[in-house]
Amino acid sequence: MPVRTVLLGQGTCCISAGAKQISAALREEIARLDLAGTVQVKHTGCRGFSQIDPVVIIEPEGLLYSEVKVDDAPEIARSLLPQGQPIERLFYRDPVTDRAIPHHRDITFYNKQQRTVLKNCGYIDPEEIDDYLAVGGYQALRKVLSEMTPEQVIEAVKRSGLRGLGGGGFPAGRKWEACRRVPGDEKYVVCNADEGDPGAFQDRSVLEGDPHSVVEGMIIAGYAVGATKGYVYVRAEYPLAVKRLGIAIAEARERGFLGENVLGNGFGFDIEIFQGAGAFVCGESTALTLSLEGARGMPKPLPRPRTTEVGLWGRPTLLNNVKTFANIRWIINKGAEWFASQGTEKSKGTAIFSLTGKITNCGLIEVPMGITLREIIFDIGGGVPGGRTFKAVQTGGPSGGVLPEGLLGTPIDFDSLTAAGSMMGSGGMVVVDEDTCMVDLARYFLDFTQKESCGQCSLCRLGSVQMLEILNAITEGNGRIEDIDLLIELGESVKIGSICGLGQSAPNPVLSTIRYFREEYESHILEKKCPARVCKGLISYIIVSDKCKACMICLRKCPVEAIKGGKKEVHVIDQDKCTRCGVCLSVCPERFGAVEIIPGREVKIHG
Amino acid sequence: MEQIALTINDRQLSASSGMTILEVAKENSIDIPALCYRQELSPIGACRICVVEVERSETLVGSCHTPIAQGMVIHTHSKKVLQVRKTMVELLLASHCGNCFMCDKANICELRSIATDLEVGLPRFQVKKRYYPVEDASPFIVRDLTKCILCRRCVSACNEIKKEKVFGIAYRGFDSKVVVDFDQPIDKDVCRDCDVCISFCPTGALSKHGEIGEEKKGEPLIISG
Ligand SMILES: Cc1cc2nc3c(=O)[nH]c(=O)nc-3n(C[C@H](O)[C@H](O)[C@H](O)COP(=O)(O)O)c2cc1C
Ligand code: SF4
Ligand code: SF4
Ligand code: SF4
Ligand code: SF4
Ligand code: FES
Ligand code: FES
Repeated sequence: MPVRTVLLGQGTCCISAGAKQISAALREEIARLDLAGTVQVKHTGCRGFSQIDPVVIIEPEGLLYSEVKVDDAPEIARSLLPQGQPIERLFYRDPVTDRAIPHHRDITFYNKQQRTVLKNCGYIDPEEIDDYLAVGGYQALRKVLSEMTPEQVIEAVKRSGLRGLGGGGFPAGRKWEACRRVPGDEKYVVCNADEGDPGAFQDRSVLEGDPHSVVEGMIIAGYAVGATKGYVYVRAEYPLAVKRLGIAIAEARERGFLGENVLGNGFGFDIEIFQGAGAFVCGESTALTLSLEGARGMPKPLPRPRTTEVGLWGRPTLLNNVKTFANIRWIINKGAEWFASQGTEKSKGTAIFSLTGKITNCGLIEVPMGITLREIIFDIGGGVPGGRTFKAVQTGGPSGGVLPEGLLGTPIDFDSLTAAGSMMGSGGMVVVDEDTCMVDLARYFLDFTQKESCGQCSLCRLGSVQMLEILNAITEGNGRIEDIDLLIELGESVKIGSICGLGQSAPNPVLSTIRYFREEYESHILEKKCPARVCKGLISYIIVSDKCKACMICLRKCPVEAIKGGKKEVHVIDQDKCTRCGVCLSVCPERFGAVEIIPGREVKIHG
Repeated sequence: MEQIALTINDRQLSASSGMTILEVAKENSIDIPALCYRQELSPIGACRICVVEVERSETLVGSCHTPIAQGMVIHTHSKKVLQVRKTMVELLLASHCGNCFMCDKANICELRSIATDLEVGLPRFQVKKRYYPVEDASPFIVRDLTKCILCRRCVSACNEIKKEKVFGIAYRGFDSKVVVDFDQPIDKDVCRDCDVCISFCPTGALSKHGEIGEEKKGEPLIISG
């Protein structure tokens, strides 16, 4: 029996950080030191702390080694010898206190989180059903099939207060109940793993790290609503998730959790994987259904029959997100009341975010609903790095809103975020600091959504393009002051006049940045200045004369010969010639730091 | 047939269940513009020009495809509705580089006529223009997608009336386009002399080969505003 377990994350992110090579090297070293009998190397899903990947964890001690390299493998293996000592050099260092922290449970990034859906990610081997069974896997299914009627299951999900985690927050129990009530002997359960938001990776992480939890949730859902067939709609860009899910489904079938007679109970259910082409709009329920049927993924206008009534191939269909299904086993195992005791009055349980941008600790986090943005960003996230100042946070993916510092006290739940002008959405959370231009940020997000529009509504198709053109003009210095109101008018029209959630939310980044950072738009338009010094057309590069050592480096490197100067002669940039390429700034030796960016177009020579 | 009581523009009305808001409005001489909707086709719901305000709904509602419901309170010409419709027409006109003076359908163009009704003059913005070469290789049909507003009537008409599937939609966002097969130009082999789609197209995007000097159909439209 192994005495120690070495846990090694093998998610898509970990693998790109070199986790595969580390694993091979570790196994080799362990074999060489004859430790194979006492040490087991286990591949797990990602632990979410992308900042310090790849991570190696030694259990039962709970030691965490961060940013491990292949060359560290021999030392790690030696530390596992009976007389071995922990390797302090590989401990995680808290970026705020600079203290070395040996145990993962003491790392603030983890200990403020509350992991339910992600609990097993990083602890169990997702390709081994026995690992899942060892942590109580499929117990919920056993309980449901042996002790509960479908109505009781639905009642439990309703009492738990679970709301769909695909963005909309629709009460899961009510949806299940509606689907159960529709008559029909052929119904479907569909798991939405489209995850079209480029910044989000929570569904991918769950599928890569704990695929059985999704499978188990889907089987229970099938039993509850009376479905016999399940589909998982995964984007084709997630090959590892598809592979692990495929293994999980095959294993579950082998053990009798899936098939014509689940656990000998007479209930039949099976799951198939469908790989979607990966358009953002295909995540919308009616577009997803069309796409599964092989048609073009285009949302249907409201009011359409609900998917629960007329879904896939015209049959009643239950569509939920990956995380919604992954929560089910906990509700059954620990009870609806336990689940309902977490979170806020109207949003129960936990929320998962991909925390990225200008943040010290970036990664995937799971937090109780009701926690404030401030706690997430400053406690778990460790604040903004590099001594810069926090400016805003954008939540909910490309069509979420941008919230300023004053709203950091906003609790995380479906309704509070919407009220503040943002949303839970796909669970993206992007932190920006003083070096981010809000107009440029809005432009960036809108550029994504307008490309992803399915093109049917004239307002979504043309209105968002028009808004983008106006934003482009503003960032290039060609904005007019009336444009701000025009953006608001267009944005409001697109929101209320479009068919689906894409058009209805695409203007959010623009509207919220105007609402909270209007003066930044005004600076661009009236003063022709980009205060954050980002928009190329509205900044100048200058050489600060008393810092310039006349080294001639920038002068030689400037591609357009815009820099005048000579030996012992302070250099000056000819603003008419300068194309603002930034080369001078990057080549000026750090110890001089003579080149600076200033907001606005500086036409006269700065001295 | 069950009778439904509803209110449109402060008038108490009653209508049979299953009717759409647009149908009830029409029956009561309330004029709601429509671009993709045509009585002969099942509702498409794409253009959004027919939107109306329904109390307690956050977004506007497409009247051509929304059935009435008991107690609905509807405003078909509120300020909000008119503003959204106007913006839409402005965007459609601005993105379309058709020249009405040169257009054979100028006097019967539904887009122009709606623009006239809504008093949309010169658009306030210069959106990107859609530009496609005119396809005139077929002896039966001339297609100028530059003037297409993507209402999808041609797709539905061909599908539902002729039971053919000549047209489809391809690409996304601004680049969305009505295509034939894998985006082939319309030529001799594609479409026969049935005229169905042409008669359904609200703009000058689909037309027949005209004779030089032929008079334009319809009375001249005057655009005010
Ligand atoms: C443009 C658009 C994109 C969406 N993308 C996703 C997605 O990637 N994943 C997802 O679960 N739900 C997505 N949704 C929400 C789905 O329509 C649907 O509400 C959800 O899958 C239902 O599951 P839930 O009740 O568990 O949240 C999207 C909605 C819209 C309008
Ligand atoms: S809002 Fe945009 S994405 Fe949604 S149906 Fe309309 S055009 Fe398509
Ligand atoms: S920004 Fe580029 S073009 Fe301008 S002075 Fe520096 S190197 Fe030359
Ligand atoms: S299609 Fe209508 S709006 Fe376009 S050019 Fe012809 S008449 Fe003018
Ligand atoms: S060609 Fe005519 S009917 Fe077809 S989508 Fe374009 S405007 Fe509508
Ligand atoms: S006429 Fe109703 S959406 Fe086009
Ligand atoms: S009606 Fe089908 S091509 Fe004209």
